[in-house]
Amino acid sequence: MWIELLTKRYPGMRAWLSQRLTGLAMALYSVLAAGRFFYLAPSDYAAWVDFFQPLWWRVLTMLFWLALTLHAWLGIRDVFKDYVPNDTLRSVLLKGLVILLWLYLAWAAYLLFA
Amino acid sequence: MNQKLAKKNRPKNLNLFTIRLPINALVSILHRATGCALFMILPVILLLLQWSLRSAEDWQLVLAFLHSPFIKLVLMGLAWAFFHHFFAGIRHLAMDVHWMTTLMKARYTSKVVMVLGLLATLVVSITLWL
Ligand code: HEM
Ligand code: HEM
Repeated sequence: MWIELLTKRYPGMRAWLSQRLTGLAMALYSVLAAGRFFYLAPSDYAAWVDFFQPLWWRVLTMLFWLALTLHAWLGIRDVFKDYVPNDTLRSVLLKGLVILLWLYLAWAAYLLFA
Repeated sequence: MNQKLAKKNRPKNLNLFTIRLPINALVSILHRATGCALFMILPVILLLLQWSLRSAEDWQLVLAFLHSPFIKLVLMGLAWAFFHHFFAGIRHLAMDVHWMTTLMKARYTSKVVMVLGLLATLVVSITLWL
């Protein structure tokens, strides 16, 4: 059964699917965000703050950032795998990548909910 | 002959200008390059967002910054990076569900991706400079 391909035994398939689903999620959010920005056309500071005021929007934006985190991790990881043949250097870079993405995630959460 | 020597004697071609780059390959490598570019500007986006929401004065500063001519050029580049990655990503998803996968069709959708990316950038550029 194809569903078996999504179990832990085939991590590559999971990565592949995650990259597509997060890409799709970000694509939908981008269109929505552009539409909302165009529709509300925030033209001063108060309007800009209002733009980020609704809880549903902040939750949606946080979900977008979660998708971005996973997507960027998978994507940049592939790039490192392709171009950095030295094992030591690559594992250092991958650790740095993970740390950076966690920092960004915390930063985004702080911006949206603090 | 031992394997190491064989490896050493392999021909190498590092002259990038001798490599042919068909349109599908171009769209593909640009998808990778734009993905990396988008990743690299993440901290800038977060910083600008933080400043723009901090106070009315900071919001003014961020706006003035974004409206300076040089930064507008940078924004055009970033807009293109986003749009190219966006449309090439959609093309990926389409091909993953086996749509438009023959060589001729793939070439056609590659051209569509290039054109849509540039068109969308043009639209954003117009609103940026008007
Ligand atoms: C707007 C919605 C987006 C869509 C639809 C999308 C779609 C995709 C897809 C389908 C892939 C897989 C390509 C492959 O397997 O060769 C991919 C790769 C990638 N994406 Fe995105 N993406 C989006 C946004 C982003 C953003 C915001 C970033 C930056 C943080 C990003 C960074 C990357 C990177 C670095 C790769 C790896 C490139 C490679 O391996 O060649 N993407 N994207
Ligand atoms: C899905 C993607 C996007 C769509 C559909 C979109 C759509 C639009 C539209 C319709 C406007 C006009 C709003 C108005 O005049 O009130 C606009 C303005 C703007 N866009 Fe986008 N956009 C997208 C992505 C981007 C990106 C990636 C950037 C920059 C990197 C960007 C930067 C801007 C800026 C700075 C303005 C305001 C221009 C000004 O008023 O001076 N947009 N966008």
